[in-house]
Amino acid sequence: MKCIYKIFWFSSAFICFNALAIPVTVDVFSNTDKPVFQTVVYLEPEGDVEITQEHQDIAVMDQVDRQFMPHILPVQKGNKVVFPNSDSIKHHVYSFSPAKQFELKLYKDSDAAPLPFENQGEVELGCNVHDWMLAYIWVVDTPFFAKTDQSGKVTIDVPKGHYSVKIWHPRIQDDLDALTQKVSIEAPTSMSFKLQEKLLQDLSFYEQRADKLTDY
Amino acid sequence: MIVKHNFNYKTLIAILMFILLFSLNLLTPAAANQVGGIVQVYIADTDSWQSYQNNGTGILRHDDDTVGIQQALLHTNIDLASNVSLNAVAHYYPDGEQQVGFSQLSLQYKPLSPNKIKFKARGGFFYPRLSLENVDDGWLSPYTYTQSAINSWVGEEMRTLGLEFSIYSPGRARRSPWSWEMIGAAFKGNDPLGTLISWRGFAMHDRQSLNNDRVNFAPYPTVIDTDFIWHPDYVEPFHELDRRWGFYTGLHLSYFNQSSFRYYYYDNQADPLTVNSQRLYGWRTKFHSLSFQHKLNSNTRLISQLMTGSTVMGVKFVYVDFDAWYLMLSHQVSQHRISLRYDRFMVIEDDVFPTDMNNSDGYGLTLAWRYDLDDNWQLGIEQHFNKNTAQNRAQLDLPIDANQQQTLLVAQFRW
Repeated sequence: MKCIYKIFWFSSAFICFNALAIPVTVDVFSNTDKPVFQTVVYLEPEGDVEITQEHQDIAVMDQVDRQFMPHILPVQKGNKVVFPNSDSIKHHVYSFSPAKQFELKLYKDSDAAPLPFENQGEVELGCNVHDWMLAYIWVVDTPFFAKTDQSGKVTIDVPKGHYSVKIWHPRIQDDLDALTQKVSIEAPTSMSFKLQEKLLQDLSFYEQRADKLTDY
Repeated sequence: MIVKHNFNYKTLIAILMFILLFSLNLLTPAAANQVGGIVQVYIADTDSWQSYQNNGTGILRHDDDTVGIQQALLHTNIDLASNVSLNAVAHYYPDGEQQVGFSQLSLQYKPLSPNKIKFKARGGFFYPRLSLENVDDGWLSPYTYTQSAINSWVGEEMRTLGLEFSIYSPGRARRSPWSWEMIGAAFKGNDPLGTLISWRGFAMHDRQSLNNDRVNFAPYPTVIDTDFIWHPDYVEPFHELDRRWGFYTGLHLSYFNQSSFRYYYYDNQADPLTVNSQRLYGWRTKFHSLSFQHKLNSNTRLISQLMTGSTVMGVKFVYVDFDAWYLMLSHQVSQHRISLRYDRFMVIEDDVFPTDMNNSDGYGLTLAWRYDLDDNWQLGIEQHFNKNTAQNRAQLDLPIDANQQQTLLVAQFRW
């Protein structure tokens, strides 16, 4: 079952919705011109785009070695996320974010039903057993989204049309609406985002030193 | 090693509680329960100093070249409600005085909260979280079998029967590398705490005392003489003798998951003039404990703890200052963990009976290699040396200095 979830997760980044899909390549740079890894880039259609297929996948937010995996998960509004537990101990996942409030106890080998995410925006996840665990689900209202790679780059295939191109990352302090770029996609397109504000502190070091020998 | 089976009514109660608890475990939804266990079987090669457990003055758990059960425990975490869980650790020990019982039995309340500063509490019978060494299931050490002098003492003589409250702030949710927790607790019981380190001195072992346990030590003439101090050659450390509340307060601070500090101030507030029908005294025991862990990289960590305090019983019949510390380096390479620890411990008396000699001190060196064959099985070997001096051995016509050593070969199964 876990393998199937993983296939869905990987495939969601590469789904082609239209035989005439056009690649849009986006680069995201910080205020110091460093690539911003794992930025969610999404293109919201402006009305003239014919969407022939919606995302129907179930996205996966796994618990691996006392960390959420992935740290940032973009999903389309209305889609579901499943929370497997790859650890041999209990997790207690919760969110108080307005976009989705829930709690889910995940026991060893648990098989919790997927949860729908019906509202756009940020969902910050925590674990009530492991206080350092934290992840984000960013719910978008478009099927055209993906995360940037280590070089801050992502390519998303979209049908011809007009779009608002938006980005999101928990470390970005810039006004997100001010960053939005409106584009008309007629042919393969490259574009970039340059942040004006300094990124918030990188806290990924929490994940590099977590281990099971922590407390009693 | 002498194996005793003196089951009394307290042991029976412990067994009944054990059955009740694990029945509860079976009756609640299976997924909501976590039950695990650890069994360790050892082969020991030891020196000839008779163990304190067998009323000797040796500070190690084993005093015979033998095969036996080092640890046999079940631990469980049962969710009783969304925010309330029951934690229990039940043991079987072939050695010591109580063979079956609990080392921990507590309820934890940890409500979900959107706030950056949160609250949690626990109540029952549990360890104060002084140690960064005893982080495996059942308060075992994942590093060595023979634990530090400090935590050997905590395991044999200290337990909180009471309530602990914490406010805490996980750093990551505040977008900070620093997390903190402030702890306050009030407890009953544990009035004889301090007896063992005053008369026997610090020991080095992994025999945790169970809920109604008794820990033996040598029959020092000044201690057992009915015309002198008149105390039995054992202590039952968890008794409530004076109806006073003890307390402790603590501060945890951590930087990412890399560095951890824990400071505690502990005072059992026992009345040192209280004595029960067994002639067990209240011992007013106070100490500061500072623990530290730093992960040098993903595989290597330094762990240290420092404790300094004092205890008094009677009208200063016994008054000692005690100090102990250890420094441990532990390195993991794939399935292998190698740990090396140096211990230093000393007890210095300043009381009214010079003939009841309580000065003791020593150091220990412990090297352990533990190899995980798979998720369930682990093999390990440990070499331990210590050199300790106890002035009161002279009362028993023994040399006051002891050089002790022990080799342990341990097979562990966990599930």
